[in-house]
Amino acid sequence: MIRDITLGQYYPGDSWVHKLDPRTKIIGTFVYLIALFLVKDFWGFLIAVTGILMVVAISRVPLSFILKGLKPVFIIILFTFFINMFMTKGEVLIGWKFLVITKEGLYNAFFMGIRLVLLIIGSSILTLATKPIKLTDGIESLLGPLKKIGVPAHELAMMMTIALRFIPTLLEETDKIMKAQMARGADFESGNIFKRAKSLIPLLIPLFISAFRIAQDLAMAMEARCYSGGENRTRMTAMTYEKRDILATLGLIAFVATILLERILI
Amino acid sequence: MKTKFLIQAGIIAAIYAVLTIILAPFSYGPMQIRVSEALTILPYFTPAAIPGLFIGCLVSNYISPYGVIDMICGSGATLIAAAGSYMLRSKPVLVPLPPVVANAVIIGLMLHYAYGVPMNLFLIMAWIGLGELIACYVIGYPLLRYLKKYKRIFE
Repeated sequence: MIRDITLGQYYPGDSWVHKLDPRTKIIGTFVYLIALFLVKDFWGFLIAVTGILMVVAISRVPLSFILKGLKPVFIIILFTFFINMFMTKGEVLIGWKFLVITKEGLYNAFFMGIRLVLLIIGSSILTLATKPIKLTDGIESLLGPLKKIGVPAHELAMMMTIALRFIPTLLEETDKIMKAQMARGADFESGNIFKRAKSLIPLLIPLFISAFRIAQDLAMAMEARCYSGGENRTRMTAMTYEKRDILATLGLIAFVATILLERILI
Repeated sequence: MKTKFLIQAGIIAAIYAVLTIILAPFSYGPMQIRVSEALTILPYFTPAAIPGLFIGCLVSNYISPYGVIDMICGSGATLIAAAGSYMLRSKPVLVPLPPVVANAVIIGLMLHYAYGVPMNLFLIMAWIGLGELIACYVIGYPLLRYLKKYKRIFE
């Protein structure tokens, strides 16, 4: 059961988008998401869709793979769509008893629906084309300037790295504990929600004890190797800003400019 | 910051993420009962849980289908909640309360405004609060009482 779970959504590849500096990608994603909220009509969305499709095409992540990732949020999208459609007051198009579809409602439904889908695709492309560890490096570097006001950028990144490193280990451990407790008659699957919630306690306690034992060993190992934090620490692969990052940034600026022009002119 | 503090925070983050992943179908979205939220009682035992839960939430939401906005809002809520729980640690019964409030308010606002879920704002908040209430009091609070017996693992 545990083996079916893939960690993260990373889609391995060595496309142009994969190779971009993680910092460029993080900033780019943020700018894209903000730009989506600047859009006020469907022409704007047309630009946004074209933009994201171009990025997807360059990343060579199959579109079907991305759409599959939308499945878990499909219910929310539908829900938002229908509520917007039926709940907006305005010029009536079709009405049947209490279900009334208005012109404004239909407009709102599509507008919100498209924005939601784009928000999700736009941000998932970041996680699809960036390794978690690279993302961590990028976050550390971007938080760097905040060190001056006391944000512990290196420590946060280190915690994240440790967490990412131990997720697979602890997944396996959890699986083992679950099986061991089931062999002793534990039942994780039946009963109402309260009963099921309670049945997790015999899983959680051993998991904690085992995890903190790992923590102790790791602390000893790191101290034995004189780990002393972020100062003067070098890394195996340094991040560099390259030509493609400049190109990507220029592309992003062009995109935002188009969105803004569209907003002002049309 | 001491190495041990760092590692404990990292491990707590990993446990949080693991529980979110294993119990995934219930963990994301407006109808979520995220069992990992039961871990929000951990600040009672160690302050390392404050950054730990924050990172855990960040890493889990990295896998979330809701993308970057959920990463920021969700983790922000968790960070505020964990700090709150830490401050309330003298009264164990109140320890699971801050996450209920913080998540209901922040995630409610997020779903309503950023994702345009057009339900009444207070209804969304109440709904999320309910899920958190179950996670924090039905699992979290008993967990706190049992873990007290094993306090030494946090030292």
